[in-house]
Amino acid sequence: MKIAVVGKGGSGKTTTSAVLARTLARQGHSVVALDCDSNPNLGISLGVGDDETERLVSMRQSLDEGDEAHAPGWDEVLDRFGSEAPDGVRLAVVSRIDNPEPGCL
Amino acid sequence: MRVAFVGKGGAGKSAISGTFARLLARRGHPVLAIDSDPLPGMAYSLGLPHDDAPLPDEAIEDRPDDEEGPRYRLRAGLSPVEAVERYAATAPDGVRFLQFGKVRTDPRALFRSQFAFRQIIRELPVDRWDLVGDLPGGTRQPFTGWGGYADTFLIVVEPMAKSLLSARRLARLASSGDRPVRVVAVANKVTEAVDAEHISRRTGLEVVAAVPLDPVFAAAERAGKAPLDAAPDSAGVQAVSSLVDRLEKEHPRMKVTP
Repeated sequence: MKIAVVGKGGSGKTTTSAVLARTLARQGHSVVALDCDSNPNLGISLGVGDDETERLVSMRQSLDEGDEAHAPGWDEVLDRFGSEAPDGVRLAVVSRIDNPEPGCL
Repeated sequence: MRVAFVGKGGAGKSAISGTFARLLARRGHPVLAIDSDPLPGMAYSLGLPHDDAPLPDEAIEDRPDDEEGPRYRLRAGLSPVEAVERYAATAPDGVRFLQFGKVRTDPRALFRSQFAFRQIIRELPVDRWDLVGDLPGGTRQPFTGWGGYADTFLIVVEPMAKSLLSARRLARLASSGDRPVRVVAVANKVTEAVDAEHISRRTGLEVVAAVPLDPVFAAAERAGKAPLDAAPDSAGVQAVSSLVDRLEKEHPRMKVTP
């Protein structure tokens, strides 16, 4: 299954996503949690902590700054830009924190 | 003064900024409130009955093909000041209100109004209105042009891990810009006496106001009403009022040019 959680800011998307991911993992599913928010906080709700969440963000940022090579495939993306969260959930941050909205003035 | 409220989604930017704008106007300032969020919320906290306030087509023209610049602009002869005077919505307490536009299924429907909105904010003379802005939640937009009018950024922070982390990112992004701006924190939904101190320590920012978690204030928001109308004596409104006092001292009242 592939689930996307959406909604207004502050409505609980991140918390809901994290609980879903860990609950599914506990039930035996192999789970990847993708943080696609431009203000990525999913690591905190999954329980990996501030520092690891910020480490993933800066990994993602360094990609565009040329300090980090693109990963050639899905497994490499998760391996290189991901982190192990509790219950065996694999967390990856895929958005930048400072990109302007595409097409915006 | 030109202030912009930023912060994590749901931190309370719209509720606080709308209340701030009206209280500032009650103290005699000419205030232009600006909602740059494509999911707008400021109209409610200002006490406007609707959250759609696009600039009308008659205010806007296409740029001729042989001229450089954006695709649409204010029509010839219409200055940004006149555009606000004539077309901005009027909220209670005399606050004027401009909105980027509520994005629906087809964002193109608002392109004309949005180009004009940007032009007005970019070109408005600094001595005509105090600007009070509500920016989109998160880190993406505030410092990539959208908040370019502000001299002071107020980061609204809840005493919660995700809000604190977002505030730290915003503080970092703000100070990496190409122009000097003042960045301070507004603690919101505070429940403990130590919360403001905690927020200051964790973000490295000066906390200029502590707005309590206030059920009366929250009930107004739930009902889609302006806190200032539905809960005028609430602790939340009082805290915003203290914030206005504080910033007003730092930015003395501007003279209104007739």
